[in-house]
Amino acid sequence: MRKLFSILLAAFGTGLFISSCETTELDLTQDPNALSPSEAQVEFYVNSIQVRLADFIEDDFGRYGAELTRIENMFGRDYRNAYGPSDVNTEWDNAYQEILTDVREMQALAQEGEQFTHIAIGQVVEAIVITTLVDFFGDIPYSEALQGDANLNPATDPGADVYAAALALLDSAIANFNATSLDEPDIDFYYDGDKSKWIRLCNTLKMEIYLNTRLVDGGAVAAFKAIVDSGNYIQDSADDFQFQYGTNAVQPDTRHPRYGFNYINTGGQDYMSNWLMNLMDTSNDPRIRYYFYRQNATVPGADGTDPDEETLACSLTSAPQHYIDGGFTYCSLPNGYWGRDHGNDEGIPPDGLLRTVPGVYPAGGQFDDNSFDGISLGSGGGGAGITPLVLASWVDFWRAEIALLDNDPDGARDLMASGIMKSIAKVQPFAAVDAGADFSFEPSADDITNYMSSVESDFDDADMDGKWDIVAEQFYITLWGNGCDAYNFYRRTGYPSTLQPNVEPNPGTFVRSFFYPDNFANNNASVDQKADQTTQVFWDNNPASPAFPSAN
Amino acid sequence: MRTKFSGLLTLLLAFITQLTFAQQKTVSGTVTDESGLPLPGATVVVQGTSTGASSDFDGNYSIQASAGDNLEFSYVGYQKQTVAVGSSNTINVSLQPDNQLEEVIVTAQGIKREKQALGYAVSEVSEESLEQRSEGDIGRVLTGKASGINITQQSGLSGSGTNIVIRGFSSFSGSNQPLFIVDGVPFASDTNAQQDFVDGNNGSSRFLDLDPNNIESVSVLKGLAASTLYGTQGRNGVILITTKNGSSATGGPSKNEITFTQSVFFNKIASLADYQDQYGNGFDQNFGWFFSNWGPSFDREGAAGWGNQSAIDDAGTLAHPYSTSSFSAAFPEFAGVRYPWRPYNSVERFFRTGTVLSTSVNARGASKDGDVSYNMNYGHLEDEGFTPGNKLIRNTLGLGGRALLSNKFTISGTLNYSRTDFKTPPVAASTGNGAFGGGSSVFGELFFTPRSVDLIGLPFSNPIDGSSVYYRQNNSIQHPLWTVANTQNRQVTNRVFGNASIQYNFTDNLNLLYRFGLDVYSENNINQQNKGGAGQDDARLNSGIYETWNNTNFIWNHDVILSGGFDIADVVGATFNVGATSRREVFDQNGVSSSGQQAFNVFRHFNFQLQDEIQFFQERNIVGVFAQAEFDYERYLYLTLAGRNDWVSNLSKENRSIFYPSASVSFVPTQAFDGLRNNDFLNYLKLRAGYGTSANFPTGFPIAATLDLETQFFQDQGGSDVVINTTGARLGNPNLLPEQISEIEFGIEARLWKNRITLDASYYSRTTTDLIVDRPLDPATGFTVTSTNVGEIKGDGFEIDLGVSPFRSSEEGGFNWNINTNFTANETEVTDLGLDTDIIVYEGFTNLGNAAQVGEPLGVMVGTRIQRTDDGEFLVNAAGSYVEENGLFKIGDPNPDWLLNINNSISFKNFTFNMLWTYRHGGDIYSRTVSTLLGRGLTTDTLDRENTFILPGVQADGSTNTVQLNNSTYWFNNILFGPDELGVFDGSTIRLQEVSLSYALPSKFLEKTPFGSVSFTASGLNLFYKAINIPDGTNFDPNVAGLGVGNGIGFEFLNGPSSKRYGFSVKATF
Repeated sequence: MRKLFSILLAAFGTGLFISSCETTELDLTQDPNALSPSEAQVEFYVNSIQVRLADFIEDDFGRYGAELTRIENMFGRDYRNAYGPSDVNTEWDNAYQEILTDVREMQALAQEGEQFTHIAIGQVVEAIVITTLVDFFGDIPYSEALQGDANLNPATDPGADVYAAALALLDSAIANFNATSLDEPDIDFYYDGDKSKWIRLCNTLKMEIYLNTRLVDGGAVAAFKAIVDSGNYIQDSADDFQFQYGTNAVQPDTRHPRYGFNYINTGGQDYMSNWLMNLMDTSNDPRIRYYFYRQNATVPGADGTDPDEETLACSLTSAPQHYIDGGFTYCSLPNGYWGRDHGNDEGIPPDGLLRTVPGVYPAGGQFDDNSFDGISLGSGGGGAGITPLVLASWVDFWRAEIALLDNDPDGARDLMASGIMKSIAKVQPFAAVDAGADFSFEPSADDITNYMSSVESDFDDADMDGKWDIVAEQFYITLWGNGCDAYNFYRRTGYPSTLQPNVEPNPGTFVRSFFYPDNFANNNASVDQKADQTTQVFWDNNPASPAFPSAN
Repeated sequence: MRTKFSGLLTLLLAFITQLTFAQQKTVSGTVTDESGLPLPGATVVVQGTSTGASSDFDGNYSIQASAGDNLEFSYVGYQKQTVAVGSSNTINVSLQPDNQLEEVIVTAQGIKREKQALGYAVSEVSEESLEQRSEGDIGRVLTGKASGINITQQSGLSGSGTNIVIRGFSSFSGSNQPLFIVDGVPFASDTNAQQDFVDGNNGSSRFLDLDPNNIESVSVLKGLAASTLYGTQGRNGVILITTKNGSSATGGPSKNEITFTQSVFFNKIASLADYQDQYGNGFDQNFGWFFSNWGPSFDREGAAGWGNQSAIDDAGTLAHPYSTSSFSAAFPEFAGVRYPWRPYNSVERFFRTGTVLSTSVNARGASKDGDVSYNMNYGHLEDEGFTPGNKLIRNTLGLGGRALLSNKFTISGTLNYSRTDFKTPPVAASTGNGAFGGGSSVFGELFFTPRSVDLIGLPFSNPIDGSSVYYRQNNSIQHPLWTVANTQNRQVTNRVFGNASIQYNFTDNLNLLYRFGLDVYSENNINQQNKGGAGQDDARLNSGIYETWNNTNFIWNHDVILSGGFDIADVVGATFNVGATSRREVFDQNGVSSSGQQAFNVFRHFNFQLQDEIQFFQERNIVGVFAQAEFDYERYLYLTLAGRNDWVSNLSKENRSIFYPSASVSFVPTQAFDGLRNNDFLNYLKLRAGYGTSANFPTGFPIAATLDLETQFFQDQGGSDVVINTTGARLGNPNLLPEQISEIEFGIEARLWKNRITLDASYYSRTTTDLIVDRPLDPATGFTVTSTNVGEIKGDGFEIDLGVSPFRSSEEGGFNWNINTNFTANETEVTDLGLDTDIIVYEGFTNLGNAAQVGEPLGVMVGTRIQRTDDGEFLVNAAGSYVEENGLFKIGDPNPDWLLNINNSISFKNFTFNMLWTYRHGGDIYSRTVSTLLGRGLTTDTLDRENTFILPGVQADGSTNTVQLNNSTYWFNNILFGPDELGVFDGSTIRLQEVSLSYALPSKFLEKTPFGSVSFTASGLNLFYKAINIPDGTNFDPNVAGLGVGNGIGFEFLNGPSSKRYGFSVKATF
């Protein structure tokens, strides 16, 4: 018996010993489901940063800016709830945790490898991100940010300081682009390795900063003009700073986000802005067929068709008094331009295959060739569009704004006309993205000439306010696809005064800056959420809302 | 009479003994209980002398006695028995339990102890309460049967997960699910949901692999003093399960017996709403193919009559939806077809009556000397859900045995195999507009089907390409029948678990046990959907998906325990246990996710364009040493001291070890003071107190710094994939400590009035400190989340078990009535969250979920609310609707205030009737089902719709609101899509949880048959419930966990109908 016991004990003992190496190992702290930071590669960071910059603008700052300026439709009768703190979480996360953290990590590695171009791209991206955050939120964490557990509650810096830091970053970026790098980035999504274009971009971004701060910085306009005089900025559309999307739908989805969202089998998800469509339709803007795709030839309640409770509820109701008083269009536009009025928050009817959807520019959708077919997944250009970040046409409008300030209407008109022409020239080739379209509906050279002369004569005939309105309207049209600049322009100048107001007569005050995101205000002890959206960013010293801006 | 007789006999024998010349000899034998289980430590005394002995761990004794002596055998909890010594040297005794005395129960690490010695609460649930149930999930079968436990089903789907929480939540980052110990070794009870609650979180709780018919008994260790020996694993309470296979391992009866049980049940949806049949599809009393049911009346006349509708003709028909919609080309046969305007009872017709078949065979036996015993069983369950496409099939096969190799050795073991096959259509979250995540939902588009939509009659599949078609004109709703026919979630689990143990007895009172536990399961998951889905804008989902992955989980567990007992002094006894344990747990997930289906309805990876990897790995080792000592004084005062030290592998070296002490005291006044015991009033009284500690270690790798790599992030101009790496969003925290939990509990146990009344009450108070918080960080720090230790949660509660026997017949077959009641109340409060934050939302969405907020109960629900004025009045906007205030406002407390379960058991002749009522008081629920049914005008609650509503509140200028709203603006804009707080309802529910009537064939009928016993039972589950404060017409059942099994409670996103079951079963033994 004793023997049996010894054998059994030995057997169990051996088993225990063999398994104990595995079962009693007490240091299992590394996560096998991810790499460790020491395995990072500079190129992979630069790739991430570049793609995420486009995301950052496209989802959804460019859209929010456009919605507030009626370039796109805003859903929500009051401003307070249209843009809540949770609506900007993704942007904040994208900005800091994804882009800026990677910029810093990348720069540390690139410094070792003397990869100065990599560093410079990071600096440009950082400058764009932080100035955009200031434009939308005001004061933001910067000097105390990105320190991990060394500071879990980074305090905000004044917006002006962040702007100053952005200027310094751009100067440093120019120096780095000019430096001799041991290695260039494998993939340059924006300029394909052309560093002179990057340098022109840096100067142009500085112009934008000077333009934005012109109300609070006496030297800003002069600094702006100095760059203009240097000539080393984006003047030619070949230098446009834009992100190109592809047509791959999954794994990865490289389509233009607006396309991916709207071009699905159940039809459009966004409503187009009635204000912008009406403006372009009534003025015969040659870009309208590129910007918008109509799925139906008529809108209920317009062109003699019956109102329809099911597909367009407001076609049965009468315009609110303030629309009637102001002479604004209400609900139904002619010619099939089926969108929504500013602030309309009615339930969503089954109109996805009836309403107007984004066209071929810039989302890579369908060119409007009067076919009035419903869209579907993959139709049109398949999403091969762009996100415009800084276009040569916009720079002309910036200069037009300075010319108007200088009381130089002729100069302003010419710059505006130059901007419009660059915009039309940029938009037109996009028709080719939708290979199946009937291109006979493209505007002719005469159409364009007629349009130009009509805008220019309207400008010449208008008083000063009217001139500002026209420049603003034309600027907004060119900004289709990215409304950040429009939102800044509107808060800077208050123009145009012709914007369609909210259908709600008392929508609350206009958004002078956004609520801080939940993930910032709730998690950071050094900041309190704003009481409302009336806080003005540092460069906006215009009168408080509701006195300014006028059209809300 | 009998006692008197035996007393007389004893006296007579004693007299004879005096006359006989005594010849001393050694008498030995085994003391067992009524079922043949050995009783260790039973006392044997030669009557009238001081000679005594006690039985060893196998019930064996030996004593010097003379023929004619009387041996008195006694054991706590059993009737004394006296046997005269005759010519034989062997006397085996089987003691009968004495219900008036104390029982022996299984405690932590399988240590058997007298119940009266315990200084903490243990609930026991017996075989009778578990077998022949219509639910195959042991978690759900336990519902209502023990105090201190709160059990919530994920939904009524057959095979869906089950949430079990003992004594409330004590952590919000770690699991609060109890430890399952099956036959002495750990048993994985995880719920591996297929995705998250947004995209669809189907997945069974792995205790579903146990067949309740195969369970002998369940003990629930509720407090930390009870579970100390399990260390960190025991912190949420322990469910100790002894299977029939496992029970044979401690010695079976010599009788060979086969038990056969066969049941048939019917499974129906219990929570079908009471739909109104007055109004149909539309909005503002006008017809339209909307999601909503605010359309015209089914009557022709009246302001809301269909007679006013241009779309509806004189015959009461309208154009068929497939003749006017975007896919009319696919359905030429519907061109010009008219469609009657009438209610179609679509939702009612969607569900079916499922059949539940359950078969169980158990065989047990032992060698004649009882040294070798075995048990074997097989169970088969086929549970067809009330939802088409939902089915659960389970096969279990098990074997257990035990052999006494010699006086010194015992070897025992069990081995079980189970195969559980769970399939269902996907169930993703929906807020009342259809599923909104990356998955489909069979319910998300169903419950709000407008009354005038003929769900069953409208074809669901496009004849050209098989894609989903439905009534809405742009086809933006996925037809629920398409979902049933074209999608599936499936989890096929093969599992092997069991244990082997060897025990060596050094002496009668000292033994060494080595026990090895093994539990391996392999969960094969499938998530598939044909191409052509509608409703979501997810290009990947619409292209057709096929995801297959395997989760292999294993637990190796080694225990070595040295146990002994000795007397320190005449009146002081002691027993001790010293042990060590090592546990290795590994979760290894591997699979492939494909998209871009080519041939329709072919689900093989080769038929898909793109493949992506699914891989995840997690491992953790826990090593523990433990010791326990119990001292008793005169068997009325007991002290137990225990402690355990754990080392856990995923923290920094300096933080990975922790010691858990515990102490408990039990005092039995009725034993201590003879005068106290009074048969007519107080029969038994015990007071107890216990203190215990435990710790919660994190899972995963919380101290690691990570870098995420994506190989398919984007493509360059040439179409080549672009690789990125990006800093991990989680900030690794090397200073992370385990959470510490301590608990103090007091209890009283009493039996009164000739044992007709039994009472077992506990109060406990629990504190968790160093909470492991997944603290969301401001992304401006560079990270979005980190694990950290902050703050404190306090919880306390009462548990009361009260049994009353109003009728107790002394005759067999007489009228007996027992009422067993248990009551549970638990409250928690977050008392501190550290300096940095005062609220952490840890489940649900960041702006609508369960939060830890200082001063509030743990899990408080937060979301948006109606904006208040400075005076606290509701603010109403110019249109007359409430103004919504964004932010994290408390909108409800999902924790029930208290739970009360009342079981009535009545027996008469051969009939037994059982009825278990449960009541939950409080516990708010944010129910999108209720909001949607109301907000879309479907139930009888919304019949009154031609009047106007004025919301109580004030306008911005301070004046009382007088703006009138119509029905849809009230219900749709405010209740359904208004402030979150309007979607919260009180979850108080009364429920007839179980009811059964059994009839056992009288034994005289069976005399000439091979049967030992035959019984028939008719039973029902959840046959009635009423959520008393939820609008009647919605008939909503708050027994649902919309966020899945975990720490999220009180939310429901159109994913949780409940089931009711009824049927019949037969049990026979031979």
